Amino acid sequence: MSALLELQGAGISFGGLHAVDDLSFAVEKGHIVALIGPNGAGKTTVFNMITGVYRPTKGKVCFQGQEITGWQPHAIARAGIMRTFQTIRLFPAMSVFENVRAGGHLRAQQYWWQGMLSLPAQRREETALAERTHEILCKLDLDRFANEPATSLPYGVQRRVELARTLAAEPKLVILDEPAAGLNDAESSALNRTIFGIRDSGITVLLVEHDMNVVMNVTDHIVVINFGRKIAEGNAAAIRSNPQVIEAYLGRDENEAENVT
Amino acid sequence: MDAKLKPLSQSVSIKGDTLFSRRIGLKGARRIAGGLWVLGLFVPALFDNAWISIAAIFAIYGIVALSEDIILGRAGMFDMGHAGYFGIGAYVTAILNVTFGWPIFATIPFAILVSAGVGALLAAPLIRLRGDYLLVATIGFNAIFVLAMRNNLGGITGGSGGITDIGVPFLFGFQLASQSAMFWLDWVVLGIVLVLMRNLDASEFGRTLRYLKQDELASTTLGVDSRMVKTLAFAIGAGLAGLAGTLFAVQISTVSPSSFVFTESVTLFAIVIVGGQGSIPGVLLGTALMFILPQIFRDFAQYRYLIFGFAMIAVMVLRPQGLWPQRSVRA
Repeated sequence: MSALLELQGAGISFGGLHAVDDLSFAVEKGHIVALIGPNGAGKTTVFNMITGVYRPTKGKVCFQGQEITGWQPHAIARAGIMRTFQTIRLFPAMSVFENVRAGGHLRAQQYWWQGMLSLPAQRREETALAERTHEILCKLDLDRFANEPATSLPYGVQRRVELARTLAAEPKLVILDEPAAGLNDAESSALNRTIFGIRDSGITVLLVEHDMNVVMNVTDHIVVINFGRKIAEGNAAAIRSNPQVIEAYLGRDENEAENVT
Repeated sequence: MDAKLKPLSQSVSIKGDTLFSRRIGLKGARRIAGGLWVLGLFVPALFDNAWISIAAIFAIYGIVALSEDIILGRAGMFDMGHAGYFGIGAYVTAILNVTFGWPIFATIPFAILVSAGVGALLAAPLIRLRGDYLLVATIGFNAIFVLAMRNNLGGITGGSGGITDIGVPFLFGFQLASQSAMFWLDWVVLGIVLVLMRNLDASEFGRTLRYLKQDELASTTLGVDSRMVKTLAFAIGAGLAGLAGTLFAVQISTVSPSSFVFTESVTLFAIVIVGGQGSIPGVLLGTALMFILPQIFRDFAQYRYLIFGFAMIAVMVLRPQGLWPQRSVRA
């Protein structure tokens, strides 16, 4: 197995503040990797660096052996990295179906003029796109919400819609920013199964998560950062017993410490 | 194939359509629209010349307003210089026809291409601008265009008097000189543009414009190349406006800078906002309110902008989505 995604000494500073500094880690193909750390540790910033929302000021980001540092977000998406957002970003004036269909944007081959002329090839593609969207909705148990306005649904369902939208793009790597935030216990257990399902369909997963039920039970590998720097990495067992991690993160909160021991 | 598609398209039909299309269905709405267009063909048989030319002007401005709606209503970019593209198309036709003796129909591709090219060139550096900044920049473009035409750019635009005596189009040896013939030409082009717009809305490119409008960051992380898509939206919108410019030049057989000034852009902008952004019937309704209604109440014609101004205020306060909004889901 080779590293699908690799950060080499990557860092970004805003003004004088080093939000992320000298961060190196690798995500193996087919793994589920978690990036954890206390609030404000820079996890979302790392995601924004990988997906091109921010441009790293130091170091390199490589995907499938190719350097993608500083690429535009759409080019990185095209390379096969898709993401969800900590604050869900669904298209507000669209239905669940339309939102998930949007994920198929890169799979659509039609040119604008084919669309305006409604040529047969374009119409065939529209049909295929709609059918494929429907399949994904069924797979994630969202088909009964297909016609609902996306942003009117419960939080947990919206998270699933956003996930479905990224999966519709058939990415190689999916990056989930706190997928369990706002979910109840049942939903978060269901999320574990969903994440395994994504991995089993051949997609590598990188996630930021606070919910230790998710982090400790689904991940192959955990990277811990604090103040924008990596302080530990390893499997769940190793992280659980790492004194630095316990001090910086897990040991800080009685309840969270209980959850993981 | 249709039969196979049916269950799927039914299952994905959107709740919360406008009342009209919900009651009669999308297919029915299209049939009614098609019927209205066919009825329109009989305008020359039923009305006098004055009304025929009003209907022709409605068709021409309908096309311009629809093209503005691609940029403003669908892609969500504040284009307040759209009369400029309209003017470029009109001037291209006028110059090629009067100065170089080209037949009118031969000028159409160039009117479209030059307008689209200017739209794309202008858009490329401007699309990084957001909202109000883009709006001011496009006003600047419109001002430059009008000034250039007034100052007889390159000695070919005729100064503030413009270009007169634009020829009549010939089609298969027939001269389209009468009011009726010109109306039919405009009406057929409007019909074509309506079909193109409908297709656009059902295509990936049309949807991409809406993705960008609703959430640009989410769109780009789904692989939308926002720079390319926005530039293309500007080019297509400008190109269609250029096409309408040709029709305009033919209709009134003269082009002058005063037809394409900033206030015309404001009118187009207002038509889209008041009628309903991204809504084909909404934009046509807005165009009718702006260009047909004043003719019906001709005694009050001088109050056109006053009435439309109050209507704009009322619509924005009471119905910000426009008089006839696009069918969409409502949360």
